[in-house]
Amino acid sequence: MDILFILIPLSVVMALVILGGLWWAVYGGQFEDIEEEGRRIFEEDKD
Amino acid sequence: MHNIVWNELLLTTSLTTETPSPNPSWKILDTQDQWQRFSQPVGDDPTQPLVQSSLLLDGLRCAACSGIVERGLSGLSGIISARVSMSKKRAVVVWSPALTNPSTILAAIQALGYSASPASHNENQLNATAKNRSAFWRWLVAGFCMMQVMMYASPSYFTKAGDIASDISHLLNWASWLLSLPVMLFSSSTFFSNAFRDLKLKQISMDLPVALGIGITFIVSSAATFDPSGWWGNVVYFDSLTMFVFFLLSARLIEVKLHSKTLGAMESLVSRIPENIERQNTDRSYSRVLNSQLNIGDIVRVHIGEAFPGDGKLVSTDAGSNSTKVDESLLTGESTPIHKNVHDKVIAGSYNLGQTVNIVLENIGESTQYGQIVNLINQAAIEKPRLSQLADRVARPFLFFVILSAVVAATLLWNIDHGRALMTAAAVLIVTCPCALSLATPAAMLASASAFVKRGILIRRLQAIESIANIDTVIFDKTGTLTDNHIEIKSIRYKSGITEANALEMAAAIAQHSMHPISRALLSAYQQSLLQHDLPKNPSIELTDIHEEVGAGISAKFNNHALYSGGLALGSAKFCTDDSHVIPVADKHYQQVFLANDDGWLATFNLQEAIKGNVAHSISQLKEAKLEVELLSGDQLHTVENTAHAIGITQFQAACSPQDKLLRLQTLKQLGKKILMIGDGLNDGPILASAHVSIAMGKGVPLTLAHADYVLLNGDISQIPQLIQHAQKTMRVIKQNITWAIVYNAVCIPLAFFGLLTAWQAGLGMAISSIIVVANALRLTQFSTPALASDASLKAK
Repeated sequence: MDILFILIPLSVVMALVILGGLWWAVYGGQFEDIEEEGRRIFEEDKD
Repeated sequence: MHNIVWNELLLTTSLTTETPSPNPSWKILDTQDQWQRFSQPVGDDPTQPLVQSSLLLDGLRCAACSGIVERGLSGLSGIISARVSMSKKRAVVVWSPALTNPSTILAAIQALGYSASPASHNENQLNATAKNRSAFWRWLVAGFCMMQVMMYASPSYFTKAGDIASDISHLLNWASWLLSLPVMLFSSSTFFSNAFRDLKLKQISMDLPVALGIGITFIVSSAATFDPSGWWGNVVYFDSLTMFVFFLLSARLIEVKLHSKTLGAMESLVSRIPENIERQNTDRSYSRVLNSQLNIGDIVRVHIGEAFPGDGKLVSTDAGSNSTKVDESLLTGESTPIHKNVHDKVIAGSYNLGQTVNIVLENIGESTQYGQIVNLINQAAIEKPRLSQLADRVARPFLFFVILSAVVAATLLWNIDHGRALMTAAAVLIVTCPCALSLATPAAMLASASAFVKRGILIRRLQAIESIANIDTVIFDKTGTLTDNHIEIKSIRYKSGITEANALEMAAAIAQHSMHPISRALLSAYQQSLLQHDLPKNPSIELTDIHEEVGAGISAKFNNHALYSGGLALGSAKFCTDDSHVIPVADKHYQQVFLANDDGWLATFNLQEAIKGNVAHSISQLKEAKLEVELLSGDQLHTVENTAHAIGITQFQAACSPQDKLLRLQTLKQLGKKILMIGDGLNDGPILASAHVSIAMGKGVPLTLAHADYVLLNGDISQIPQLIQHAQKTMRVIKQNITWAIVYNAVCIPLAFFGLLTAWQAGLGMAISSIIVVANALRLTQFSTPALASDASLKAK
């Protein structure tokens, strides 16, 4: 079970990395208009 | 005088030194043309000018906060009054420019621990986005860390004590602690900062017990992590901690969402005028300018879907056709778009639906009817209804009681297990939910006020919802409220030998030369009868020598007509009578007009004021609801009697002077009746004011002059039964909310006190409790019985 001594601290680090990613997403405005992205699937391609 | 001002200045500066220094850019707001952007003059004493400003507040958490700001501001010199709307996060401050200035007011609000900015729309939007993001981010951090901490905690739930090696469980606790830190320091920081701010001001608010609960849990768990053999015990509660912070933040997030949905109708109405608009320059090109820069006489271009920025006249259109369609549903309740041709008037706040048009502005800003409506709505939302004031008064002692019981619970268990004692106290602190109590009333009332606004019913004070819900008598103040202003032909009697159509044709032929309301009525009755038979629209009879005698009648001569010749007269009995022929005056019930030729009487037209559509149906609805309906009118007996019979009112009093009406009202009041008075709001102000609650017909009446609790913008009587019904439903929802809040607290506090609720369950309970209250209120944003349904049933009859 010694591997846990590496895996648990690693999971903490990974959690923090994922949090960083979420921060980027929130402040990039990705959650502001959720409906619009879904609607875009139905739109004609613009090219 | 100077001393007082100086002292107050010292007070403000000493307060501000403790907090972040006031923003230097506020100084800019002290010049008059700057503060006029978010202010307007009030009061009528020219020697002491007063100004009313609208400010956007940040940092309000609970109903108690609005009290803090109000008290804090009204203590300053130069501030006459300050009112805060918790739900709209706005403050309306009345202040004297001679004694204070905007930067002092803003600094004072900051000293209280809140931030404020002038309420202009643009900033509003930016602030909202930034706040939404940060609230969402706090919630996301709490949620994500909660899941991860739960992972670390799960082994301890599935194993027996001693199954996990102590160094491993130590490691898991460490990991949990590390991931609880962001939740503790970032996500729940608002709870701590609010609680701390209130303590500093010797206030107590909802956030204090929550912050204490979170703090205790974190300390107990950290101690157990770093010193498992210490006297705090060795049990960690990081999973509970992160979970209830997550629940609380979820609740607040949902609450804000629901609340903005209830207020959506009002917000969209208040902010419907665009911030900038294309104005025509002298060289006929266009440039975008801010609304505040517009002047009367400017020509602006309004695109499809945009709202008109002011009252004005259509001057030209872009495309070929000379008309556009506008949606004036806000101001008239008329939901179908209306055609407007060039030179027609358009009103501020209505939408342009047809095509891009140019208008010349005739009236802008607060003096437009739209501006008045917006003001009225804002004022109403700020007022605190009685039940909500009561809840605020109860909330404070209640919080003391909660903290006290938490202390008692901890002391009782202290000697058994320190850790458990503290966690029980934390559960008691977290489970209490006075927010549900203080949200119960305003949430429901605002939701139903927004439902009213959607229907073109404006409400002056929220308290009026409670008042109208328990009325038992409805009094219509005058016949004019029930009838339209135009006259219609009730019946025609005619001489034998001619037909009704002949009589009407002759009457119309002569009437078309006059603008008198009776003449118009005769003409339109004739045109309608032709329309039914698909005939051309104008009388075929030609007349000459037309003479109108004001107040008496019209006389004329037939011009080359095959059937008729000689003279024709239309008017009063006296006017139509000559020496040889007497007009038979038979029916005294109606206002009458007579038609005669050289040989004497031809026809009598009985006239009546046209009763508004749906009135009879609405009256019967009111009666079905067990309300007594009465009519008080200044008109003559026979007119009133006819109207009353036609619509099914049995109780009526005619020829009333205003004093008679007031007297009748007093008599009914002494009998213990709760009276709803319905009038036009213009000439009957005192009578409306002395009733329990009043409704004014807002059609064509300047809103500022209509002194009533409600204003029906489209003057549609059929909305009244629904309004009463909806108000009663609102009161039911408020009672449900208050009952729920009381029952929830009465059940959960003892449960937590005896250690039956863990911290995370307490957090879940509190979160759900306040969501239930707001969600229950949300049911009121729609009228339960849509008007269309009642129209349909009326037609079916």
